[in-house]
Amino acid sequence: MRMLATFEKSERLRHIGHLDIMRAMQRALRRSGLPVSYSKGFNPHILLTFASALSVGAAGEREILEATLDEAVAPEDFVAAMNGALPPEMQLSSARIVDDRRPAAMAMVKAADYRIRVTDASAAETLCAALPGFLAQGEIVTDRKTKSGIKPTDIRPLILSAEMDGDTLRARLTATEAVSCKPGMLMNALSAFAGIEVPRVMVTRERLLGENEDGQLLPLEAV
Amino acid sequence: MSPCNDKIEAMLEKVQKAPRYTGGEMNAVHKDWDSVALHYGFCFPDTYEVGMSHLGMKILYGLVNREPDQVCERFFMPWTDMKALMEEEGIPLFSVESRHALSEFDMIGFTLQYEMSYTNILAMMRLGGVTVLSRERGEREPVVVAGGPCAFNPEPLADFIDAFMIGDGEEVTLLVTAAVRDWKKSGAPRSELLKTLARIEGVYVPALYDVACDDAGRILSVTPNCPEAPARVKKCVVTDLNTAYYPRSFPVPYTEVVFDRIMLEIMRGCTRGCRFCQAGMLYRPVRERSLETLRSLAKDLERATGYEEMSLSSLSSGDYTCLPELIRALMKDLEKERVSISLPSLRIDSVLKESLEETQKMRKTSLTFAPEAGTQRLRDVINKGVTEQDLMEKVTDAFSCGWNAVKLYFMIGLPTETYEDLDGIVDLARKVVGCYFAVPKDKRARGLRVTVSASSFVPKPVTPFQWYGQDTQESLKAKQQYLKEKFRSVKGVNFNYHTPELSYLEACFSRGDRRLGRVLLAAVDRGCILDGWSDLFSFETWMQAFADAGLDPDSFAYREFGRDEIMPWEHIDSGIDRSFLLREYDRAQEARVTRDCRLGCNGCGLQKWKGVCGYANAGHV
Repeated sequence: MRMLATFEKSERLRHIGHLDIMRAMQRALRRSGLPVSYSKGFNPHILLTFASALSVGAAGEREILEATLDEAVAPEDFVAAMNGALPPEMQLSSARIVDDRRPAAMAMVKAADYRIRVTDASAAETLCAALPGFLAQGEIVTDRKTKSGIKPTDIRPLILSAEMDGDTLRARLTATEAVSCKPGMLMNALSAFAGIEVPRVMVTRERLLGENEDGQLLPLEAV
Repeated sequence: MSPCNDKIEAMLEKVQKAPRYTGGEMNAVHKDWDSVALHYGFCFPDTYEVGMSHLGMKILYGLVNREPDQVCERFFMPWTDMKALMEEEGIPLFSVESRHALSEFDMIGFTLQYEMSYTNILAMMRLGGVTVLSRERGEREPVVVAGGPCAFNPEPLADFIDAFMIGDGEEVTLLVTAAVRDWKKSGAPRSELLKTLARIEGVYVPALYDVACDDAGRILSVTPNCPEAPARVKKCVVTDLNTAYYPRSFPVPYTEVVFDRIMLEIMRGCTRGCRFCQAGMLYRPVRERSLETLRSLAKDLERATGYEEMSLSSLSSGDYTCLPELIRALMKDLEKERVSISLPSLRIDSVLKESLEETQKMRKTSLTFAPEAGTQRLRDVINKGVTEQDLMEKVTDAFSCGWNAVKLYFMIGLPTETYEDLDGIVDLARKVVGCYFAVPKDKRARGLRVTVSASSFVPKPVTPFQWYGQDTQESLKAKQQYLKEKFRSVKGVNFNYHTPELSYLEACFSRGDRRLGRVLLAAVDRGCILDGWSDLFSFETWMQAFADAGLDPDSFAYREFGRDEIMPWEHIDSGIDRSFLLREYDRAQEARVTRDCRLGCNGCGLQKWKGVCGYANAGHV
């Protein structure tokens, strides 16, 4: 049985890397007493995947995990058992059973909503003023780090929306397995356009988004 | 959270390994600061990864936090990048849990695991806004305590620590926290508290003792200067580990730490009596946890931590009375949870082939053997009751059970050592390689790896070798080079050795006295911190610090104590009689072995502490 759940990675944990959060979640599954499934083979591990890796330095409000269970468990019982086994910084907010034939959550992610708080007030003002002109550009080429090195990439089509709200930049960015725009890339390009050094920011990923049959973006857990 | 939170968050963006400082781990304890009467800052004077691997901290953290009116929070030594930023920004050393400054705690406690962490103690106090010198500390500053194995010679730290807790900490810690709590409430002067603490058995308050010494630094007398202080401070012993506190939960770090697993302490103490081994003397007598207690602890700890690995820890796990039964029971209990069980400090003469076969069902990590010396003569001198035949049988068993990696630990610079003994090390390693090839090809795992490690002997207090000076650095370096050359021709063996400079300083401090406080201060002033990390250790700076203090390090490290001389730690009663240590010293000279206490009491001194040692007065000396 497959369970999809949303969980928080609190601001306090933002420096914890993806693999460490993954291991912490596996240990929580072990602590929970839930009938978790293990892989077959010589070194069995818990069957757990995350929809999307969250970068070091970013917090997440509704991150998504999928766990496989050997026996049926009600979603509310899953949440209760996990929350008893997780620190306050990593609590689950919801869970639902998903069909075994459904594609992995990882393959369903299309975009993500970010909240990027600029800690320096004057930098925030400068960026706010620069944003309309920045978005009006036909293409925005910035460096993207890949496994094979740094590649110049046009991120304009990947910025689905962006607006400043006080000191906070709210952005909806493409995030698929094939191509994605990270908040860091957006900040680098925007700061360069505004002619300032990249300011210190606090990044929070608010939600991951998937698509319904009509091509409409919805929170992934609701698709 | 601390008012400096924003600044701390900004710093965390800039440092390496920020998770060292962020906390928020599973099972970390958070209490409302104002709701408790006593705030205890437990300080591990090394980095987070090292400190979080330490069993003692887990025990004491749980113990104090179980008290509803007390809180225990953790402190570690920040790495150099973080320390520099904190100094720049004026951020005091803060606790992992609530980020309160070190100076805001009522009591702070350092665990003394190794001498080369002493500079970190001073550096942490400075960074935390706590006055470093005990005599200059303000009335309402934190009470600074310390404990752990190095507290058995507390003298090099006497200037900095208000009170030492000697021996097992499970009981005395709560007596001390309660005394500090009550004192805080009473508003009495600090000097009163020190006297109150001195009355607690096992507590040593250095300010209450006067030390007289001659021009050469030989101790003439150590005398209490007030009636509350006992002439000798007797160590604390927990008599029954089954009723003693042991945590059933502890914080689980997010990042990998040195020992990232459940540590189940199956017994405390060791009956072997190796003459170089300080732990073997300090943790006497041997006390075992029962099978039932261990099974219950293991289950609870697995439930609370979710760890996938468990190690049975003690000085000599192979000596646990019913080890095969224990391993079988734990494997059965935790089979569903798929916990792998590892035995860390295997002794080569005690592990049964049976238990080897059982552990391999779970995982095959490398096996460690510690013959310590290369010849039977020298092994007899150090009372390492292990023969070449034992070693060969055990490694053959291991190889035929599918192990292919073996570590062999040796010491160089042991008393009476000659080059013949060094040749013995090479010879023994060669024979281990031979054992591997003697196992039929289809029965052994491929890819033999034999690692030989040679550390330099450091004479330690409360051991029969406490009177010996350390081998000189020149001699140790020559011996290392000699071995390195010899091992070049031995295929399949990787030879490691430690820098002798670090062992030399360890020797200075392990048997040092109060004068060394000046050296520590000078070393910290000159920037010595995290000395256990080879990339930060600067021997030259340490030599300058000794020069600043006007002291000759050779006179500490190489010092031979006279048989009748008063040791700097003589007023700390470890329970081991001086006459026993001297007898063992003499037997070492004659290369005479002393039996394991389980075969008959050797009269080490613990027999006079009624009912503490289960092997006391069994048989005759």
